[in-house]
Amino acid sequence: MDIKDQLKKIIVEELNFEELEAEAIEDDIPLFGDGLGLDSLDAVELVVQIQKYFGVQIQNMDEGRIAFQSINALERFIKERIPE
Amino acid sequence: MNLPPLKKSGQVRKPWNSRSLGNRFQHRIFYAFIRIGGQTLAYILLYIVVFYYVLLRPSVAKKTDFYLLKRFPRRRGWERFRDRYRLSLSLGKVLVDRAFIGITGPSRIKIRFEEKEKLLSLLSPEKGFILMNAHAGGWQVVLSAMPLFSKPVNMLLERDQQDADLHYFEHAGLSSPFRIIDPQSFLGGSLQMLDVLKRGEILCVMGDRVFGNEKSVVEIDFLGRKAFFPFIAFKIASAAEVPVVVFFSYKSGLKRYDIRVADIIHVSPDIGRSRDAFRPYVGRFVVALESFIKDHPYDFFNFYDMWSLN
Repeated sequence: MDIKDQLKKIIVEELNFEELEAEAIEDDIPLFGDGLGLDSLDAVELVVQIQKYFGVQIQNMDEGRIAFQSINALERFIKERIPE
Repeated sequence: MNLPPLKKSGQVRKPWNSRSLGNRFQHRIFYAFIRIGGQTLAYILLYIVVFYYVLLRPSVAKKTDFYLLKRFPRRRGWERFRDRYRLSLSLGKVLVDRAFIGITGPSRIKIRFEEKEKLLSLLSPEKGFILMNAHAGGWQVVLSAMPLFSKPVNMLLERDQQDADLHYFEHAGLSSPFRIIDPQSFLGGSLQMLDVLKRGEILCVMGDRVFGNEKSVVEIDFLGRKAFFPFIAFKIASAAEVPVVVFFSYKSGLKRYDIRVADIIHVSPDIGRSRDAFRPYVGRFVVALESFIKDHPYDFFNFYDMWSLN
């Protein structure tokens, strides 16, 4: 499973978006606000899950702004930091 | 759970605002009284002003009754009026005291925190922790005691642009002794809160006020009726693996406040994000708050209907 699919699975399963099909999440849709509709609580859970699954830490708000734009952005962020 | 309909972003209308009753001119009169005659002269004015507001402003009665009707459900007539007066006066005194220390200096009011060393000995020196308070007692005054901690303090604080109230350090023209995290900022400030805790700093939050997100509140029995409480602070505590220290403060003398630690809550890591997982932790905070209110019934200042999000 590639990073994007794993991220979508995390959103559906760990963030309790079970009414959503992982495949239906578009790669470039904004994750928060009017896009997918994630909120601040989801953001904290995503930080935890990304560290758990990929060993990558989102250290602060500036990194969060970059990483949490979309699935594409989050994948890029993880790829750049994932431990070898 | 009976919640109002969600907007697209998951936000609900915020059921409260932080704006004070008086305008800037009225606040300045109090500041002038403090400068001329100190705390005592300002209190004399306060007794009259509060009487006027409680007697002639129905909005004050409405705001205080959300709480008083639950705390003293059998009281009517004169007793109800007296309760409204005592509650409003109690808040007024805290605000006067806050201005008093801002104008004359923090050392003019003694803040006793006898459990501070015991508390610090229970906490890891490397890790941060969450200080959870409520809109109760002297929270506005004890902010001046935050430098007691050797760690940097961050506070989740929303401020109404029209608010005429000043914090104590603003009276004195000092820079803030704590950093402010705005709950209206990116993702409700959640990543910033996580960040400061991971750096080993202190995060101060209010456990009794909902910032308007339906997904992050739980219903808990409070004074005999279901009320809404936020749980995001507990989620952040879990993610950062830090404890939540519940504390309350109260005015214990003319120029003295006491701080008491009510509970230290360790939230399980990897708790997920389901609302029910957080209910026991929020419940402990509510039990502590109820216990405080039982002992200090006129020291609860959450003047909105927290028993309904509508």
